[in-house]
Amino acid sequence: MAYKHFEAIEKHAGLLGIGIAIMVSLGGLAEITPLFVEAHSLKAPPGVHPYDPLRLAGKDVYVREGCYLCHSQMIRALRFETQRYGHYSVASESVYDRPFQWGSKRTGPDLARVGGKYSDDWQRMHLMNPRQVVPQSNMPGYPWLADKKLDAADIQARMRVLRKLGDPYSDADIAAAPAAVEGKTEMEALIAYLQGLGIRNEPDPAATPASTGGAP
Amino acid sequence: MSTGWSFWVMFLVVLNMGITFFLYLWGPRAKIPTLPDGTSGHVWAHGVLREGVRPLPMWWVLFSGAMFVAGFVYLALFPGFGNFKGALGWTSHGELARHVAANRAELAPLMDRFKLYSVEQLASDPDALQMGKVLFEDNCAACHQRSAKGNVALGAPDLTDNDWLYGGSGSDITTSIHDGRSGVMPPWASLGADNVKNLAQYVLSLSGSPHDAARAAAGQPLFATCAACHGADGKGNQALGAPNLTDHIWLHGGSVADIEKTIGEGRQGHMPAWSPRLSDEQIHVLAAYVYHQSHQTSDASRQ
Repeated sequence: MAYKHFEAIEKHAGLLGIGIAIMVSLGGLAEITPLFVEAHSLKAPPGVHPYDPLRLAGKDVYVREGCYLCHSQMIRALRFETQRYGHYSVASESVYDRPFQWGSKRTGPDLARVGGKYSDDWQRMHLMNPRQVVPQSNMPGYPWLADKKLDAADIQARMRVLRKLGDPYSDADIAAAPAAVEGKTEMEALIAYLQGLGIRNEPDPAATPASTGGAP
Repeated sequence: MSTGWSFWVMFLVVLNMGITFFLYLWGPRAKIPTLPDGTSGHVWAHGVLREGVRPLPMWWVLFSGAMFVAGFVYLALFPGFGNFKGALGWTSHGELARHVAANRAELAPLMDRFKLYSVEQLASDPDALQMGKVLFEDNCAACHQRSAKGNVALGAPDLTDNDWLYGGSGSDITTSIHDGRSGVMPPWASLGADNVKNLAQYVLSLSGSPHDAARAAAGQPLFATCAACHGADGKGNQALGAPNLTDHIWLHGGSVADIEKTIGEGRQGHMPAWSPRLSDEQIHVLAAYVYHQSHQTSDASRQ
């Protein structure tokens, strides 16, 4: 290679741009591609099940209302996080989250393991008007959720789509959905979703020893 | 990461580092054809801009060299080169475990000391109160408020008044935190709207609150139903978590409307169990902090 070969790159902006793009993309190809491909082969660990119809409806309310804009569901492997929120999150816990709700912004606290931390009544009052229970809160209220009833046919359609994507819903599961959401409001669905977060899918202590950072 | 992907990453790292390192070594040595005017002959903007030929500045050569050294050392010590774990064997989970262990070791003398004392004794220990305050604000304040004065709208009891639903001894408080509590008052609307109003007036009379005497008298016989939990004298039952109705402390509000709602619709109070979230040591400290909330004056006089 001689100096003259570089003259073409120097004098043609398009060629220079392509060269830069190739070099810059090497990092992404190394860091993103393997994880992206392997994420699709991730299997649900024991104890992680697809959402039941009510919680599924609640998860969609959570996404629709943009809760992820202020709440993450991703406990990082840092002591001050595991001490406050519990065991750090692992990828296999969110195999049935489409889209996943890891988030990158915390105006409010992380919710990855909030299930059972408060009572259903607390959750309801908090969603109606957060100041009723936490005077310092700057979270908006979501009172309209209590007025909107769930649409069973819509939930069944969502379950069928998720089954096409690989979630193991049986025909019986889908047939039973209308009974499960009969007369329920979006508020009840969201509370059911929140109360289930992180409860049934905490990583198996045998697989990840407590010494690697379980809740101290 | 599978072996195939590991090789993929190694290949890209070698390619990237290889190209840049080659350019770094070759650049200063490249033979650049130079015109008599000291430029390379590359021109832009119709000759207004010409490329001079100068050796690379030494600061740039040294700085770039240092970057390469840092990059190679990093890949040798830390994970990054495919599946190679790095000479230090560093992992984020390992680091977390070390930090957790270090924190535990730092707190160990304190925790060991706390274990020696009962909840009641610990309630006058400033270190325990300091730790308990943090735990309380992180976990309990959402319902009981930071002030521990409770939340009538939610039915979360005031913890500062020394009026206890489930008992106020250290072991009672510890049990409440550890296992949670579920209080259930059934709805009595089936008695009829008028009887609910009468009962509400009778309940008000138990604590000597202003009430309608005629209605209270009419409600008195009906109180036999309530007495199963609240006792014939209305003083409550801590075994069931049935509140004392003769004091002026109202779990769900003491207005006539509140009491009628409580009787007519019933109430459900639920405190979650904290054993899945907090260690026994933390619950012990927290119980001491809660105990302290209703025994502050006596502590002050003791000291």
